[in-house]
Amino acid sequence: MASTSTPKPDEKSSTPADSKPEQAQNTKTAGALEEDDEFEDFPVEDWPAEETEAANQQGNNASGGTAADHLWEESWDDDDTSDDFSAQLREELKKVDAAKRR
Amino acid sequence: MSLITQFLSEIRKFLKNRKGNELRAWLLVEPPLPDQYHKLADELKKGYRNSASLTKLVENSLPEDDNVSEDEGTAWPGFVSFMKDYFEYWRDVDFDDLLGAHQLLTGLTNSCTTALNNPTYGSIMLQTSISLCASLSKLSMTLNKRPDLTRNLQTVDAGEEEQKSIVETTAEIIQKVFTACLTDRSSQRHEQPKGKKTGVYIFANVTLKLLFAARKTHLAKQLFTNITAKAPPLSFYPAAQRVTFLYYLGRFHFINNHFCRAAQCLQEAYLETPRRFESHRWLVLTYLIPCNLLLGRIPSPQLLQRPEAQSLAPIYMPFAEAMRTGNFLRLQAALDANEKWLFSRGIFLALLYRLRPLVWRAFSRRTFLLTYIAPTEADSRKAATLELSHLLTTATFVQKRLEGYLPAHPGRKPRQPHINSMFLKAVSNRTAGLDEHSTLAPPPGGPKILRPNEGLIWGNMPVTEDHIENFVASLVAQGLLHGFIAHTQGRFAIIGAKQKGAVAAGWPPPAEILATGLKEGEDVPGWVKRV
Repeated sequence: MASTSTPKPDEKSSTPADSKPEQAQNTKTAGALEEDDEFEDFPVEDWPAEETEAANQQGNNASGGTAADHLWEESWDDDDTSDDFSAQLREELKKVDAAKRR
Repeated sequence: MSLITQFLSEIRKFLKNRKGNELRAWLLVEPPLPDQYHKLADELKKGYRNSASLTKLVENSLPEDDNVSEDEGTAWPGFVSFMKDYFEYWRDVDFDDLLGAHQLLTGLTNSCTTALNNPTYGSIMLQTSISLCASLSKLSMTLNKRPDLTRNLQTVDAGEEEQKSIVETTAEIIQKVFTACLTDRSSQRHEQPKGKKTGVYIFANVTLKLLFAARKTHLAKQLFTNITAKAPPLSFYPAAQRVTFLYYLGRFHFINNHFCRAAQCLQEAYLETPRRFESHRWLVLTYLIPCNLLLGRIPSPQLLQRPEAQSLAPIYMPFAEAMRTGNFLRLQAALDANEKWLFSRGIFLALLYRLRPLVWRAFSRRTFLLTYIAPTEADSRKAATLELSHLLTTATFVQKRLEGYLPAHPGRKPRQPHINSMFLKAVSNRTAGLDEHSTLAPPPGGPKILRPNEGLIWGNMPVTEDHIENFVASLVAQGLLHGFIAHTQGRFAIIGAKQKGAVAAGWPPPAEILATGLKEGEDVPGWVKRV
């Protein structure tokens, strides 16, 4: 029953080379879109913990971290207000403020 | 001696010696098959059209032995009945008629479950049950993709009850096997599972696969409740079963908006899957990334570099950017770009509605950064505040941009001749002049009609003071903003600005509030970590 094929997700959606967000839907057919991706049976029943990232979790715990810590960022606020969006908001605030004073 | 009699005599030996694996190896139900099975089918077709004579033959060949020693086994009525059904299956099955084969296999699986339920000898049927359920599940999934075949069935069967799909019906049958394993008493809950208990998560996973394929995920609740109440810890079971189970449990919690629980399950599934199973890791990550976004955690560069993340980064990183910058236009663009892809996976609505508070948070933060003037020494006792009227101005601006209004070029003097402003002037001549209160000009064809979810509040509804106060109050209540609303002054006042600085105090990192359960490893219903 177990499938030995591990199709690359790229086949289903976009490839790194054409990594525009639109690609994900454009390369799929309408029928495939409605289907849930099937979580295939693993070709093996078990594997040693050493083969996984979770195995490092134990060791890292001593230093207060987990194997998943480096996968996510929690401090990501953007303080840069020199981008276009901020500039547009700044102009708008100025203009509205000036109109109020009139 | 006929082939049928030989077959039964071997089966009897397996029962006597309790050889569950051999039993499974013999009780095949689907191709590829050794030639013997076709000969067996021929014999059955020729000699046993009559079920009564078949029953008699099986009963005679598989007598219930008396004085069975402890390490031996024997036939029992449920097994005899199963063997009769097994032969009938081979007599009648036609693999070119998938629907008919499915009906026969369904009957046989039910019969197998009855045999499995025998408290003394039933467990010898465990491996056969696993193999039959796998075949039945595979056949059901095939039929699920063939509405041309199942359409007829629906018109024939349409009764008073709500029409159940083939997949759903199969899920119910396999869930019965799951229950049989769960309630087995051959081992205690806290010890290494033995007998039928070893099959708990195998059958749970097959059932879940079918329920998800049938889009009847709400029916999984009972299964998870039963697992929480009775199942041995998941850690006793092989890695493939653990990962598969946690994938479905994570998706179940995701569907129910329990993102912390979902993230715990999916993260464990991801970490426990070796790198070589890239497509599995990709599928887990498909849900783990949005889950973390909703908890205020964005994928790190290390994660984005991994092969399984390559196709996901362009889909999800625009959402992370919208969260970072408070840019609703980017949020809308990210939703539009992959709406179908996200919707078909049950992710779209979660991102559409649940990510909004985080974008509002960053948006209010951005407005504060643009408007706040730090106090001089003389008035250093003054509290750090965000004027809600400023937020109304910026929000109104964003709403208009969503409606297609065109911005003036930032950083240029408004009157400077520019192709864009000349164009705007041409437009404004037609639309009775530029708005004195905004840098924006209406789009040529008039404002875009927005769907309810495309507007900042509700479609084209204009943003009001009340909306702004409402949003800020809601963010404060959720802990995403730290401070209070001074209603009469129309301001949001930050608490603790002196110690931490106004921005850091007013806008704590969302993960500190949203992901505490994940970090503390809170209990997840359905995931038995210990007993």
